[in-house]
Amino acid sequence: MMSFLKECVLKGALAGVVWGWIAMVLNSFTGIFVFEGGFTHDLVTFSVAGAVFGVVVSGFLFVGGRFVPFKKTLPRAVFVSVFIWLVLRAGGVLLSSMEPSRYHVLTPETLQGLFLAVALGTLLGIFRKDGQQRCGC
Amino acid sequence: MERILERDSFMKAVLPALAVVALAFTMVVIAYGMESVAPGVHDAFHDFRHTIGMPCH
Repeated sequence: MMSFLKECVLKGALAGVVWGWIAMVLNSFTGIFVFEGGFTHDLVTFSVAGAVFGVVVSGFLFVGGRFVPFKKTLPRAVFVSVFIWLVLRAGGVLLSSMEPSRYHVLTPETLQGLFLAVALGTLLGIFRKDGQQRCGC
Repeated sequence: MERILERDSFMKAVLPALAVVALAFTMVVIAYGMESVAPGVHDAFHDFRHTIGMPCH
């Protein structure tokens, strides 16, 4: 339980918060989506959402990491992160097909999201590299 | 002794899985902006949702 808290919650949240900031900076540079909220609002929401995504990816890595066809932590984390993003994206496509006027699928945002999923996995892999022996994932 | 072992295995296996499921649900709520589950979540995480490539209006 302690290893779960340490490896998944703490490191996942930390990696997720950093990832949220990277997402903000990346989008500001690419300009793919023009932010509608203020800087402070976005800083808080990107940090919170990043922490949630980081802990979830880290948790799936902890619980089901042994089933991923990679031995090293970094490729495992990237695989899990991209897999979760693809599942979410597939759900988005389904929503879009049901309500096309409400949900729009935009290719540049999709590509940026895929890149960010790889980035989250990479960050998580780097953050958790030292703990892989202890938690067994 | 057996009970302690049972409780220990529950703490090790089931609780982390439950925590991950609960957080995964939170992630889905944020990713799709499910107002029916959490009012205000759509507007609050609107920029984030677009940035990570989730479909939105």
